[in-house]
Amino acid sequence: MSLAAEAFVSQIAAAEPWPEKATLYQPLKEDQILLSDSASSLAVQTFLRMCGLPVQVSCCANAEYMSPSGKVPFIHVGNQVVSELGPIVQFIKAKGHSLSDGLDDVQRAEMKAYMELVNNMLLTAELYIQWCDDYTATEISRPRYSSPYSWPLNHILAYQKQWEVQRKMNAIGWSGKSLEQVYEDVSQCCQALSQRLGTQPYFFNKQPTELDALVFGHLFTILTTQLTNDELAEKVKSYTNLLSFCHRIEHTYFKEHDRESQSGSPHHYKGSLP
Amino acid sequence: MNNADRILRAYAKFSGAKLAVKSIDWTWRTITASVPQLHYEGSTVTEPAQILNFLRKQRFNADYELTAKQGADTMAYIALLEEKLRPALLHTFWVDAENYVNLTRPWFTSHSPFPLNFFVPGRQASLALSRILLTKAESPLLNITEVEGKIYSEAKECLNLLSHRLGNFHFFFGDTPTSLDAFVFGHIAPLIKAPLPSGQLQKHLNQLDNLCQFCNTILKNYFTDASAEKRMDCSLTAPHDPVDANLQKLTQLVNKESNLIEKMDDNLRSSPQHRHETKPSARASERNSPLLSKH
Repeated sequence: MSLAAEAFVSQIAAAEPWPEKATLYQPLKEDQILLSDSASSLAVQTFLRMCGLPVQVSCCANAEYMSPSGKVPFIHVGNQVVSELGPIVQFIKAKGHSLSDGLDDVQRAEMKAYMELVNNMLLTAELYIQWCDDYTATEISRPRYSSPYSWPLNHILAYQKQWEVQRKMNAIGWSGKSLEQVYEDVSQCCQALSQRLGTQPYFFNKQPTELDALVFGHLFTILTTQLTNDELAEKVKSYTNLLSFCHRIEHTYFKEHDRESQSGSPHHYKGSLP
Repeated sequence: MNNADRILRAYAKFSGAKLAVKSIDWTWRTITASVPQLHYEGSTVTEPAQILNFLRKQRFNADYELTAKQGADTMAYIALLEEKLRPALLHTFWVDAENYVNLTRPWFTSHSPFPLNFFVPGRQASLALSRILLTKAESPLLNITEVEGKIYSEAKECLNLLSHRLGNFHFFFGDTPTSLDAFVFGHIAPLIKAPLPSGQLQKHLNQLDNLCQFCNTILKNYFTDASAEKRMDCSLTAPHDPVDANLQKLTQLVNKESNLIEKMDDNLRSSPQHRHETKPSARASERNSPLLSKH
């Protein structure tokens, strides 16, 4: 969104309370959604649960095309549509709910820096593995991405998406990396997160913030998604405090809610955490 | 001179590695290979992050005294810089028409031999533009002018965050510089020192006193002769003179490099981080003399 539009939206957002029927849109859970989209979607869902805001998850095959920025997930609240975690956090802040109000300037700077680290390393690595690794792309990504469509549209869309992602990787210099280097980068990123978390329950001690939601979204999805090999999950599993962090958030925000209703389960491919 | 160069030279100064800076022509290498490159005992390393890892393994380590958490913070802040500040820097120097035509292109064409000077700057500019569009432009923002607003506001926010983090300290982690300081210096030094005709980001940065102070401190302590010449450059207003002065500065730098490094070596030997490993580092710096090639 342009800056003027953003300011306008947040003014309108501040005026209305959170409605009962807010909806979050993502691609089809069983057949279509891919690792990176699933991670982003889970991060947003976790953030909304941490704020205590109810939302219904709706799965549509064309979620990506409905989204205002072309990225999933996006939420439909009242008569506004907002996509991606960053703008959603700002939108919710305009409504008066925020998880990071208690942080001072230095801590907020750190939080933003770590969120960029996760986006830069983990999300890019996920995209790389899905679309630039030939084996994974052929076996998993292309069939899944194009499953709701019939021939020849499925081929066209899948190859178009792959080409787009490869162009982006080229622009940021990741196309020259080998798969081992990417796994190494993921490992370093997890090490940094693990060192920052230490023995605390959340990244900024007692209270969860959007950083916790983002990290949980990515790590949980990596741990529970079945890819062509388990190396990515193994890298994450080697950091025990990150594993217990994921368990803790799953238990606190998802298990209790699941006991009340059946919606919003984060288990996508393989069931629960190891 | 590009960002990676500055980052590496700053880091080398901080950690006391003896680097002989070789100024190479903008030859065909820049099309196929990437600069800067570190040549050491026959092996070649490129990419700033890998060169930093290499220097660390060779015991030239400015991050020796950081805790694990600070090391993690370093990675996070570097990611922040790359994601938020780099697109705006690329835009300021390569895509903004006034800056490109009046400053960047003349500087590069004067340093490239014929016939490269015709197409190398253009190629860099189009690479910069495509990088910005591919990573920042989303479907309603396909036009570069709309993306501009977004990337500049993100860059200003990033500078504010860095300023908050730096506070009143000399360096990001206490009193001695580390790799994060090298990265930040490498990114903001050109913004402070280059005589940009249209620089909204530069104006914003000038308002952040502690970052300007940080940059000047590093220039003064670690790049003493170079900084005097840079100040001379900035006070000149005619577009040709900065180019000539830069050329002169470059030649002089190459000649004076070894003297500077010896002075630096002495300074750093007396600093705390070297007291921990005086013997190994002394042996290491005598034994090694890696060459750093740059344009």
